[in-house]
Amino acid sequence: MHKEEIIEFLQKVVEKPDWKVREWKEQEKGKAVGFLLTDVPEELIHAAGFFPYGISGGRARMEFADAHLQSWTCSFVRSSLSLALEGKLDFLDGLIIPQTCDTTRNVSGIWQHANPLPFLQEYRLPRQVDRPSARNYLIYELNRLKEELEKFSGRKITEEKIKESIALYNDNRNLLARLFVLHEQNPAAISNRELYTIIEAALLMPVEILNKYLNGLIEALENEEAAPKSKIRLFISGTLLEPLEILDFIDENGGLVVGDDLKNGSRYIDAQVQTNDDPLAALADRQLKRIPGAFYDPPHNPRRHFLVKTARDKKVQGVIFLHLRNCEPENYDFYDNMQALEESGIPAIRIETEFVTAPSGQIRTRVEAFLEMIGGEGNV
Amino acid sequence: MFKRVPFKTAGLMKKLMGEYYEKGARSQKEGIPVAWMTAVSPVEIIYAAGLFPYYPENFGALAGARKIADKLSLSAEAKGYSHDLCAYARCGIGDAYATEHPVGKIVEPNIIFACNTQCGTLPKWFEVASRFYDVPYFLLDSPLVGGEPEEACRDYFLQQLKEMIAYLEEVTGRPFDYDRLREVLHLSNEACRLWNEVLDTAARKPAPFGFFDASFHMAPIVTWRGTQEAVTYYRELKKEVDERDKAGIYAIPEEHFKVYFDHIPLWPRLRWFSELFASHHTLVAVSQYTHSWSYSFDLERPLESLAANYLEEFVNRSFDYRVQLKLNFIEKYGCDGFVFFSNRSCKSTGLGLYDKRNIVAEKTGLPGVVFEADMSDERFFSEEQVLGRLEPFFEQLKSAAR
Ligand code: SF4
Repeated sequence: MHKEEIIEFLQKVVEKPDWKVREWKEQEKGKAVGFLLTDVPEELIHAAGFFPYGISGGRARMEFADAHLQSWTCSFVRSSLSLALEGKLDFLDGLIIPQTCDTTRNVSGIWQHANPLPFLQEYRLPRQVDRPSARNYLIYELNRLKEELEKFSGRKITEEKIKESIALYNDNRNLLARLFVLHEQNPAAISNRELYTIIEAALLMPVEILNKYLNGLIEALENEEAAPKSKIRLFISGTLLEPLEILDFIDENGGLVVGDDLKNGSRYIDAQVQTNDDPLAALADRQLKRIPGAFYDPPHNPRRHFLVKTARDKKVQGVIFLHLRNCEPENYDFYDNMQALEESGIPAIRIETEFVTAPSGQIRTRVEAFLEMIGGEGNV
Repeated sequence: MFKRVPFKTAGLMKKLMGEYYEKGARSQKEGIPVAWMTAVSPVEIIYAAGLFPYYPENFGALAGARKIADKLSLSAEAKGYSHDLCAYARCGIGDAYATEHPVGKIVEPNIIFACNTQCGTLPKWFEVASRFYDVPYFLLDSPLVGGEPEEACRDYFLQQLKEMIAYLEEVTGRPFDYDRLREVLHLSNEACRLWNEVLDTAARKPAPFGFFDASFHMAPIVTWRGTQEAVTYYRELKKEVDERDKAGIYAIPEEHFKVYFDHIPLWPRLRWFSELFASHHTLVAVSQYTHSWSYSFDLERPLESLAANYLEEFVNRSFDYRVQLKLNFIEKYGCDGFVFFSNRSCKSTGLGLYDKRNIVAEKTGLPGVVFEADMSDERFFSEEQVLGRLEPFFEQLKSAAR
């Protein structure tokens, strides 16, 4: 398959987010278990024989959520619940909600009353990661989740099965990470928008099939001549990449995203799972060593230091804080992160977005102005 | 407006709280480390280790009651902290950056302990503080108790208490004193028991004490819990409440109805609300909020029971558990209706209230209402809107009684 065909196909997956899951259910006569982004061990859902489906919100009709969630709730959770109430997630047989903030911690009960599902689990991540107690607890929690999945499927999840799934997802993470590198080396071959669209597709389709496409794509890209072109190197920091269109604005203005800490970006592909260990312990270890985010600011790797260091290592010229309005953890981190960058002489802006509407012209203008400021003319 | 007979104990409260703040200010000079604590966290360990516990949430409530939360918040908002965050946090962060301190300055920490049983806001706020004041930060992590409490979660909390104690030994350079811990736990038990006896008098009809009284008298159970001062205070209060009851001094004149209230009072509007309800002969009898301090520790198993008490506090329980808790209070106190305050500051208690209203109404057949506002920041309070919600509710109460 040609590169263009592969990219086009993956774009279609993202445009029609229920396409592959419905197809799979039809063919396999299996069940789909969704998860709110992210940090959910997809490997376990996969090993249980379910289709892991990542819900990353969407342009939903928010009035559906109004009767359940106050207007000050973040638009990611509001739009996800709205999608469910609109019937747009009716292919889901189950849902796992990772608890990363007060909203995700409280929404499960609301969800279960508003839109009952035969399987709804909380994934109670530890909020501290640096002390020994966290690891023991996390292994317990993973085991609990595994047992709940077993009850729902009526089948044991063997260690072998988990190891197989881990291997598949490790491949997937490796391939996506490789794609990231190729994008950085040869942005003309794969744009910002294309790269992140593909990561988004990973949440929506079977990993086995995706891996095949990714192998093909990488092969094609590796054979392509690099077209050296000076770009403005950017880092995006935030919870979720929304709206995807912001990447078009960056593409159009000579920007190159070389790193991020987003849940539907680098955080999805960052650390690998060891394959020789007890698989649940290995899953726990991956979780504990992931890059810092607003809901984990580990003392051994404070987020603001991580941002500065990554920006320096990657020769970043500017950081875009892409924040969902009403995302509390992000908001609490923002000022200190911004200060740390400023003190290191790294320019940054903050753009606040919501899932409600199509991106406004204002976002485009701000991105343009920022790139112009940090890039100067000679760079583009 | 009705004429209140002031509580004699109010004088003791003033003295105690004055002493508390003074102690905070003095501690640092005397080399006693000031430990920031969250309201629902094992302060008993801090007392036993000989540190001075300070509660920044209390500062936020005070700023609210003095009607300056919005002003303090502006200093935080200027840095990019959104006005949608918890007002207590905005007051705390705002005070750090503010140049004026109309309610006095927050007592600066030497060490920060956060426990996320209540919410995820406190850890984030305290992280900010630990960077601002450049002091160590320690999180006690409470996973949500979904259904029945799990042994493994208790054990996780217990392990963390041990980590906390080891850490305190390092900080103080002294071995931890378990005998002292048992003494402190005993004092906490006593204060909580007496406090709950006082709260329970709201079930009498007519009642000598209600939620608005409790909102006033709760400061020592938060700040002095674990000391003899708290025990003395609530012993005095209990005595006075009983005397008032005998003398026919009730919380409101002519009590016709009792209602359940969720959750935190609106500090800058305490008086306004208490008069509004009183004018409709309605006693706000009970709120899960003031019942937060209902701990009961087993002195034989101090750490285990600290873990169980602080992990399994109701705000850290499932949706269904919390619905049941409201139903229990409504029944126990003989409520005729319920009012849910959807507090935009407090996501962990505000979320789900609309669904809970429907469920509680269905199960009890009682009238109930939800209104939107903020506990401290008056910019988010609209008298018109709140009355638009509450007045029809009072009508429903009356017609249900007919
Ligand atoms: S969010 Fe709620 S529980 Fe947390 S500090 Fe604010 S008022 Fe208290």
